[in-house]
Amino acid sequence: MKKLALITAMTLAVLVTTGCTNKSVVRYGDASAVETTDINFGSTDLQKVAGQMTDSLLVSPVVGTLTANTRPVIFVESIKNKTSEHIDTESITDSISTKLLRSGKFRFVDMTRVAAAREQIQYQNTGGMVDASKAIQFGKQVGAEYMLYGNLSSIVKSNKDKSDVYYKFTLRLMDLESGLVEWADETEIRKTKEKEFVSW
Amino acid sequence: MHIKQLIFATLIMLGLVACKNVPPVTSGIGTEKIAHGQNYQQRLIVDNQQLASQLFISDIKTRMNNDFLEVNLALTSKYEKSLALQYQFNWFDKDGFVIESGKNPWQALELHGMQTINVKGLAPSRNAASYSFYVREVNEKFYKF
Repeated sequence: MKKLALITAMTLAVLVTTGCTNKSVVRYGDASAVETTDINFGSTDLQKVAGQMTDSLLVSPVVGTLTANTRPVIFVESIKNKTSEHIDTESITDSISTKLLRSGKFRFVDMTRVAAAREQIQYQNTGGMVDASKAIQFGKQVGAEYMLYGNLSSIVKSNKDKSDVYYKFTLRLMDLESGLVEWADETEIRKTKEKEFVSW
Repeated sequence: MHIKQLIFATLIMLGLVACKNVPPVTSGIGTEKIAHGQNYQQRLIVDNQQLASQLFISDIKTRMNNDFLEVNLALTSKYEKSLALQYQFNWFDKDGFVIESGKNPWQALELHGMQTINVKGLAPSRNAASYSFYVREVNEKFYKF
């Protein structure tokens, strides 16, 4: 009997010490992995939106014609966030413009850095510190020929068991000279969250 | 209660409630590196037999579109229930070097029972000459005990 009690005590001790402990573990994850932490707009959605829009733009017949002999200059107007969430739309814009630039088909001007660029050129020309023959001159920059702009909107519905969010992202390319929209596309994302019961 | 029964009941209970953080199954099916125009049928990979019994790559087409390598890949389900999947393309230049390493995101895909779905991939650079594809099941580790 004593032996049995001892075995029981030992078994319990082993199980308690090897059982689940609530400890925090930090590890590096895969930045390209699908993320499903919650239903809000996440990294996978950003990657999907940026990837699909870039792909669609690059294989569009109109864009094929536009980029046949030249690399058009584009400026990206900020993406309007029409969802109920706080989403950093500049991040979507950055991803799209980076992918397009790296594709080698387009060139970009960055309107968010105009003030800093002006300040630098002003310093070079008026500060007296820079060799005047080597200073960058005003009025030599290249203007954008096209404008890329878009909207991100969402429809959210939920009841006590289920939440559903639908995102729609629209992107358009406008010829600044003629005002014509040369290309447009939209992509959709649907995410649902519902209670699931674990079963064996 | 007899002490043996108590031990048995304790062990059963501990076995049921014990949580174990099992790493998720991330193997799947896919292709080796396939060059534009090369036959894909000899280049298919099966790393996960269970997934291969539910799903297969039924067709792959490639073409050059506006100087970019474009792939259209058909996935067919042999399973009557829906499958929650993730897929990824990787791209390589003519020397076999990977393009945009680590920047090709996994994409979520829901494949309904017995459905065939076409997924498209476009190379991120005009230098791409070959591609590889991989699809795996979304495996939530919390369901594994």
